Amino acid sequence: MRLPGTRYQEHGWEQVRKMLGHCSLLAFVQCPPAELLDGAAAGRALDMYVDLTGEALREAGSRLRAEQAGNSYGDSVQELAMSLLYELQARPADWSAFCGAVAAEHARSGAFWEGPAGDAILRKKVNDMYAVLRDKVDSDNYQAACGRTCSPNKMYAYRMLDTAYGEIASLFGAWQQHAAQVAAILGRELAGAAQPIETRQLTSIASCRPEWIIRWSESLERFGDGAGPLHTRSKRFSSLKNSEEKIGTMLREIGDYEELSSNRDQDWLQDAGDAALWLEDLWRVCEAPEGDGPDQILPALEEEFPEEAPAPVPLFDSALASAVSLPPRYMELAWAAQNRAGVLEAQSLPVRLAVYLKMLGPADDSYPAEWLDPETGELPTMQQLAGLDQVSLPTLRKRRDLAIAALLAAAP
Amino acid sequence: MNTNDALERKLRAQILLARRVDGDRLMLSDEVLNAALDGSRHLTGAERAALQDSPLTLRRFRELSNARRPAAANDAWHGSSGMLRAASSGEALAGLKTDDRHWALHFVEQGDKWRLILTLDAAAPFAGRLLREQPLLRVVDGGGAILLQGRLDADGEYECDWPFESAPGLHFQQFGAGFTVAPVHR
Repeated sequence: MRLPGTRYQEHGWEQVRKMLGHCSLLAFVQCPPAELLDGAAAGRALDMYVDLTGEALREAGSRLRAEQAGNSYGDSVQELAMSLLYELQARPADWSAFCGAVAAEHARSGAFWEGPAGDAILRKKVNDMYAVLRDKVDSDNYQAACGRTCSPNKMYAYRMLDTAYGEIASLFGAWQQHAAQVAAILGRELAGAAQPIETRQLTSIASCRPEWIIRWSESLERFGDGAGPLHTRSKRFSSLKNSEEKIGTMLREIGDYEELSSNRDQDWLQDAGDAALWLEDLWRVCEAPEGDGPDQILPALEEEFPEEAPAPVPLFDSALASAVSLPPRYMELAWAAQNRAGVLEAQSLPVRLAVYLKMLGPADDSYPAEWLDPETGELPTMQQLAGLDQVSLPTLRKRRDLAIAALLAAAP
Repeated sequence: MNTNDALERKLRAQILLARRVDGDRLMLSDEVLNAALDGSRHLTGAERAALQDSPLTLRRFRELSNARRPAAANDAWHGSSGMLRAASSGEALAGLKTDDRHWALHFVEQGDKWRLILTLDAAAPFAGRLLREQPLLRVVDGGGAILLQGRLDADGEYECDWPFESAPGLHFQQFGAGFTVAPVHR
C-alpha cells in the first residue's frame, strides 16, 4: 500500500522488521536487557542500543537482503531500518514502553532472555515496538505530505482495508473455487457457471465496493479462521463497520494515490542544494509583524480509530497467596495463563477456578500448569480459593453456584 | 551564498525537523500557512508559537514552501513506472514499457535462461541528461525485489541476466505486475 509520504507500508516492511529484529538481538548481547529494567538506566541504555543496533545494521548492509528495495520509492531495506532506528532515538516514550514490556515479562518469568526461548520473546517485543513506531512515523509523513489529519491507528485501518481488498481480489480471481464465499461477498446468489461480472470489473482497490469489504469481514466467521476485522468485539474499527461511505473514501484514496504515484514523477529526489531554502520562508514568516488574529489554531480531533487498551494486569496481593500456602505469585501467573476468561469473564479468578474445580475436578489435563498448586499438582482447594478471594467459604460456594447457574441459563 | 552558509542552514533545518514531540499534530491549516507564506495574512503570536513548537506542522510548512518554488528543470527525472497489463495469453512475454513510454524492458530467451535489457528512449526529455550524468539506475518489481542495477551505456541500454527462476511474464504476475525504473540515491 502506498499513501502520500508513507515509507513503511509496502511488502518490503517484512524485511525491514526482520533486519531490525536480527540486529537488535545482536545489540542486546552487549547491552544486556537487565539494563532496561530500571527506569533511569533504561533511558541511558537507549543511546547504547541505538549505537549498537546501528553498527549491526551497517554491517548487515553488505548483505543482499539489505540492498533490496524496501518500498517502491527505492529506499533500501537497510536505509529504512536505519531511519526507523533514528526515529526511535527521537521518541524516548516508545523506548520506555518497550523497556516496560521487558520489565513486565521479567516480573513474570525472571531473566527470560537467558532461557531457551529468550531470543524469540525479546525479538517479539522488539517487533511490537517497531510495529507501533512505523505507523507513527508514516502517519506523520502522511500529514506532512498532504496536510490531512491522520493517526497511527488510522494508518493501521488503511492497511486493514488494503489487505481486505487483496483478499477479496484473490477470492474473485478464483471465484469458481470460492463460489459460496464470493456469493456472500457480493450479497447475491451466483447464476450457475457464469462468471460474475463484478469479479471481472474489480481491477484496482478504487473499484472495490465498501459493502464487499463489510460482507467479506462478515463471511470470515463462516469461511475463514473466525471473526473478520470489522466483526470482532474490538472497538478499533467500529467507526468503519457501519459506514460504507467512510470505507469507500479510504479505499478510493489508496487507489487514487497508487495510480498517481505510479504514473507521475516522484518527489523523493530533491536537489540537495535547495533542501533548506524553506528556512528562509520560515524566518520571513516569523519575523513579519504579528497578525491581529483571531487565532486559527486547529483543534485536536478525537481519535477516529480508538485503540482498545489491553486488559490491565490486576494487582494481586502476594500475601494472600502465601497465607493459603500457595507460591507468592500464584494469582499473577494463574491470571496470565488463562488465555481468555470467556464465558466466566464477569467472575473473579478464584470463582472461575472454583467453577472448574466443581465441574471438571481438581486435576484435568487441560488446566494450565500455572493454575495448579505446586504442592499437590492440583487446583487449589475451596478453602484456599476463598482465602485468595478474601471471602468466606460459604460465600465462595454461593458465587460459584450462581456462576454455574448463569452458564446453564446462557447455554443454547 | 557560500558553502558554510548552506551547511549551517541545513544543520538548522535538521535540528528543527528531527525533534519529535509526543502527541504532535497539525496545528495550523494549509490555508493559514499558505496565507502566511504569500504574506496575505500574518501569523498571530500564538500561531507562530504553535508552528515553532510543532515539528510536524513545520514539516507541513516546508512542503508548502517547497511547492511554491518553480518546478525543477524539465529535464529532471525521478523515476518511471509501468505495469504488465495484458492477461496471460500463454505466449512468452517479450517486453514491457513504462507508462510514460520512455523506458522499455526487453526479455530475450537464451536456452532455459533469460536476458534482461533496459532501454531508454532517445527522445525522452531527460535522455540527454541521463546519458551525460550516467546515474546508477535500478529496476524494482512490484514486490520490491531488484531486477537490475547498473548504469546505461552510451546507447542508452543496460543488459544483464534475468535474476529469477521463473519466466518474466510469470514473475510479474506473481509480484503485483508493476515495476519501477528509478535512480538510486544515496
